[in-house]
Amino acid sequence: MSTPASSPGLVPRLLRHPLGSPALVFVVLAVAVAVAGRWLAPHDPTATSVALVMAPPSAEHWLGGDAAGRDVLSRLVVATTYSLAGGMVVAALAALSGVTGGLAAGYFGGWVDTAGAWLTALVMSAPAMVILLAARTAFGPSLWLSMAVFGALISPVYYRVVYNAVRAVCGEPYVDAARTSGLSTPRIIARHVLLAVRAPVILVSSGVVAAGIGMMAALDFLGLGSPSTPTWGQMLSEGFYDMARNPLLVLWPSLALGLTMVALVLLGNALRDELEGTSAPAPDGRRAPWRPRSEEPPRVIEHGDADERPVLLSVRDLAVAYPRGGGWTTVVHRSDLTVRRGQVHGLVGESGSGKSQTAFAVLGLLGQGGRAVAGSIVFGGQELTGLDEARMNALRGRRIAYVPQEPMSNLDPAFTVGAQFTDPLRVVLGRSAKEARRTALDLLARVGIPDPERVYRSYPHQLSGGMAQRVLIAAAVAAGPDLLIADEPTTALDVTVQAEVLDLLRELIDELDMSVLLVTHSFGVVADICDHVSVMSDGTVVESGPTRSVLAGPRHPYTRELLAAIPRGNPRPPLEGARP
Amino acid sequence: MKPSPLHALAVTLAALLPLTACSNGSGSDSEQPEELVVGMPVDLTTWAAADAAWGNEALYHQAVYDTLLRTDAQGGVEPGLATEWSYDESMTRLTLELREGVTFSDGTAFDAEVAVQNLLRFRDGASENAANLSSVVEAEAVDADTVELTLDAPDPALLTYLSHNAGLQASPETFDAEDAQVRPVGSGPYVLDEEATVVSSRYVFTAREDYWDPEVQLYPKITMQYYPDATAMLNAVKGGQVNVTNLHSSSQAADAESAGYDVHLSPVNWKGLILADRGGEVEEAVGDVRVRQAINHALDREALLDAMDHGYGEPTAQIFGPDSEAYAEALDDAYPYDPDRARELLEEAGYPDGITLVQPQTSFTPASEFELIAGMLAESGIDVEAEHVGSTFIGDLLGGAWPTFRFALNQEPLPWMTYRLAIAPDSAWNVYDVEDPTVEKLAERMRLGGEDGAAASRELNEYLVEQAWFAPFYRLQGIVVTDGSTDATHKVGYAMPNLWDIVPVS
Amino acid sequence: MITYSVKRLLSGAALLAVLSVITFFALRLGTQGVAQQIAGQSAGPEAVALIEERYGLDRPLAQQFLSWAASALTGDLGRSWFTGQPVTEAVLSRLAVTVNLAVGSVALTGALGVLLGALAATRRGWPDRLVQVLSVLGQAVPGFVLAVGLVLLFAVQLRWFPATGYTDPSDSVGGWIRSLTLPVLALAVGSVGGVAQQVRGSMLDVLRRDHVRTLRSRGLPRRRVLYRYVLRNAAGPALSVLGLQFVIILSAAVVVEQVFSIPGLGPVALTSTARGDAPLVMGVVLVTGALVVLVNLLVDLLQAFLNPKVRLS
Repeated sequence: MSTPASSPGLVPRLLRHPLGSPALVFVVLAVAVAVAGRWLAPHDPTATSVALVMAPPSAEHWLGGDAAGRDVLSRLVVATTYSLAGGMVVAALAALSGVTGGLAAGYFGGWVDTAGAWLTALVMSAPAMVILLAARTAFGPSLWLSMAVFGALISPVYYRVVYNAVRAVCGEPYVDAARTSGLSTPRIIARHVLLAVRAPVILVSSGVVAAGIGMMAALDFLGLGSPSTPTWGQMLSEGFYDMARNPLLVLWPSLALGLTMVALVLLGNALRDELEGTSAPAPDGRRAPWRPRSEEPPRVIEHGDADERPVLLSVRDLAVAYPRGGGWTTVVHRSDLTVRRGQVHGLVGESGSGKSQTAFAVLGLLGQGGRAVAGSIVFGGQELTGLDEARMNALRGRRIAYVPQEPMSNLDPAFTVGAQFTDPLRVVLGRSAKEARRTALDLLARVGIPDPERVYRSYPHQLSGGMAQRVLIAAAVAAGPDLLIADEPTTALDVTVQAEVLDLLRELIDELDMSVLLVTHSFGVVADICDHVSVMSDGTVVESGPTRSVLAGPRHPYTRELLAAIPRGNPRPPLEGARP
Repeated sequence: MKPSPLHALAVTLAALLPLTACSNGSGSDSEQPEELVVGMPVDLTTWAAADAAWGNEALYHQAVYDTLLRTDAQGGVEPGLATEWSYDESMTRLTLELREGVTFSDGTAFDAEVAVQNLLRFRDGASENAANLSSVVEAEAVDADTVELTLDAPDPALLTYLSHNAGLQASPETFDAEDAQVRPVGSGPYVLDEEATVVSSRYVFTAREDYWDPEVQLYPKITMQYYPDATAMLNAVKGGQVNVTNLHSSSQAADAESAGYDVHLSPVNWKGLILADRGGEVEEAVGDVRVRQAINHALDREALLDAMDHGYGEPTAQIFGPDSEAYAEALDDAYPYDPDRARELLEEAGYPDGITLVQPQTSFTPASEFELIAGMLAESGIDVEAEHVGSTFIGDLLGGAWPTFRFALNQEPLPWMTYRLAIAPDSAWNVYDVEDPTVEKLAERMRLGGEDGAAASRELNEYLVEQAWFAPFYRLQGIVVTDGSTDATHKVGYAMPNLWDIVPVS
Repeated sequence: MITYSVKRLLSGAALLAVLSVITFFALRLGTQGVAQQIAGQSAGPEAVALIEERYGLDRPLAQQFLSWAASALTGDLGRSWFTGQPVTEAVLSRLAVTVNLAVGSVALTGALGVLLGALAATRRGWPDRLVQVLSVLGQAVPGFVLAVGLVLLFAVQLRWFPATGYTDPSDSVGGWIRSLTLPVLALAVGSVGGVAQQVRGSMLDVLRRDHVRTLRSRGLPRRRVLYRYVLRNAAGPALSVLGLQFVIILSAAVVVEQVFSIPGLGPVALTSTARGDAPLVMGVVLVTGALVVLVNLLVDLLQAFLNPKVRLS
């Protein structure tokens, strides 16, 4: 769990949040009123006066009097104290029991865990209202008691959050390290675990306080509150009783209750945005237009090339950017690529160099909000940037195919291999269910899967990584595409499997006569399979040329650096017996 | 065109809306109304006649059961299942002649033996009013349609009691039935439709065929809908869902009126303080008559009436209502609001610094009322501390936990009934069982009734006011509202009319 | 799966047992003077003693509990001390009403929540803002305020719907729908926003996953990927939220039933606890507890059906 802990800048950040700042200000104000309520209230909130019964607002009594002739404003102010305090009691008790329980269950596991889970289930299946009523009958109409009981009932909210956080942290190596280095359990919990738990607990709290205030109001409405403590809910329920005579008596507590609850909820949302970094980007209308980097990146170093085959894909001056805050983050500054028919083109670079983003841009599948902000992508004579969805869909799966890096996460876990394999065949290529099934089984057999029938029926999690990657390759080439974009197709696999998969790719390339854009960080793979290579660094293609030429005479310092980092040697011969 | 879900929804709504427009309309004037819907502010405690409650629950029982006698809206005794009644000279033997040919809804015949059993079962049962028959020593079926009751002392309220729950007649088949509490078998004008009834929510009755008194069967069907929540009740009224109801609170009367209901007012309860520890057993100060009088002077009754019940009542210092023989108009303002006089009296009694009373505070009444009264008393040096109580309230109250407390008690139609309710040493609301020789002497005269009994009751009233056994605030108006198709005649001393006094307007 | 269900049911039964012990003792220790209350305000000591004897209130508490438990195990929950109605009958007849209400609300919440959540996740823009506003309001406006508002507007002012009461579908289906409309709305509005936000969140989460891109790379139209693959993956979390909502709505129904005078479990729970009607309270606790256990089990089974990983392990 990589939640950034609340840095000292949290409050300033909240203040900059568009909804967070008014919410925070309101909550702070409400708390101030609650704390200072006794001194702020202009009159005694319980003092009754016959003259003031249902009195209209006046200079002396700004909000008039209620049914018992008490000053409404003073009651409202003092009710703030009780209402907020009630909410705090709920949160405090819920946090105390939920956090302690979650910590213990998560950290110790075993029977503590089992007991915790069972208790949580007990609390959650208990009908909260009935328990509250029973507690009230049993122990008398005390506001604090009711709130404490409700706190206990709502504590699973904390328990779950904390439990999950602790489980995640306990798996981290640094906790293991702390454990083996002999740190005592309390110190580990204090130092590592509590830190991890802090953010989610803060986050949950504003919601719980709001829930507590709401529950208190509901109890008061049912006439189950404590008659001696003025709360908003009680004022509301008294107001409802006399609504026909004086609707204002409903208005004031409704406003106080509603605004406080809205503020707490908004504050919670803002906290989540800031703590979990889910702040929504500014809408496009308000975003500054994208601008290229001020310094012009150096032109790409081109090696001489004798390849005369027709050009299939031509990427020129491509820039890719993602919206962030009020502006843009540019991940590809200038990408230039030429992939010819039948060519296997390696796109090599370190992670973060923009090579995958270039590939996604060609596919038209950039992540949320991402956009090709400059340059052109021409595929088979057609400009792809700015192409509409339908036309792009017509290309994807038919003429451009994609093999991803991480096989397991690229198969939908909720569907069988067969289902997700055949669906595009039927929808995109218009095959019948039967044809699609036969094609799929044939292809599965072709990519070297020993028992295609079984794999066809399997769910992704039942396959090994290598097997899954074969499935993905088979699915990608099903339509006989012109261009296969393979994004690090072997990186996530075991070494022996890597070789097998590379061999499979090589065979398929020969067999199907397609061009390949192979994204990789490894010059070994490039040397192994590519006839052409482009080197990318910091979002820019810096050097490009036939593999042999680039390997033999790298000109850009970055290419040289990359080459120096790998052990030298001849390309290995194909592995014996790797193919079935 | 394939109908879209939205289309379907629109069609459904369109189909529903016209229905809603007329579903609760009051029907056309020429026909006999189909149904009477009564809003009930209290739930039925039990159908078992021997344990039955009365007061607000009377309507339930009047639908299903007959009583031996009936009382009309003015409190006059009328024939019920007994057609004639007479006392002997000593007023300790009551003979009742019973109606012949009456059967219960299960077919069982009603006769003197059944009546005797019902009476004895009530006397020995768990009804809160069981003591109403405590004077009955013996009940005997003289013949098939004559019952004779022997009393240990004259009881001027007995005939009235026999028109209430004490006179309920249930089929003997229900006597030991396990489901007697939920399944009534009476000889009354209606039978409970168990299918349509939802216990503790809605009770549906249909008229019985061949009932001996068709004049009281004014509707083919009656629904009594219980509203536990005052606001829900008011919403039902505003939404036109009930024909008649008695409102929880006077503050709702204006709403009902603007929703087109007729408002019928009649004093039912007196609201005030019961200064129970008048013997000074627990709280010495309350034992002093000057302190009790001081409390009475400390009350601005007009203001309390306006503040708590919006003027729907009449300020008074006596606990007997205007329909009672004991009533004396002059006593209404026996204790004018006078904080100075109150302080004087406290000083005379030896409490120059005032006194402190602990009173129970429950959620049954709005906290605001408690504080309003406490605030008022404090001006005269009488501090009231609240003690919060939950469900044990009534038990603790009757057990004598608080020397003074706030309550609203019924203004009974007969002085003797008031005596039995709150004055007699063994009465429920004389919680410290205070026995006063003057009171008992007057009670002996009241017991015998007649002119002297009436005079004695007036003397008793005067004596109680002077001795300040109570500190009443005001007589509270009971509020019955009826819609345009319904009329109702208030019954003296009761919150709701007799069932047969709720009539369709033609 | 059957073993799993049986295990879950057993643990649920244990849970109910603990729950009933806690409730019984809390309630009985808390309410003294029940007999006086049963007998009535002005009942004398004889009547009270009679009641005590009739209901065995003079025995030690533990003994009272054991005899309750013994007959409860045989399916006999006794009779209400106050109304004399058999508890099973009282609770089950009213449970049907509450379940109607709760299921209606959860269904409406689910339908609207998933629709709005999916719209918000894919279109952003106005549906997104609507979801935000709804979820804030849903959390901020107490259900009873909403309920009272709905009554005043639609029942009292416009008279479109009845202000109070419940019509059984066997009497009139139209009446049934009309009597449930406002209460269901009052319950659902509060939770639609929350559910929608959950659905939106988990759909956005799924949308970011690799397999969605891979499916798109194979030419599947965006809509098909959304409604066939993304929704299916996001259904798990949404289902959990709806299960939780059901439990929350059961509690919230107490208040709403009060406002609308609906003869569901709410008023029974309120009055029976307030006056210490132990047999009835125990019945309510047992039945609602069992309902929650069953709903949770159902949610988990559905969850397993949706998620093959859970199903097969």
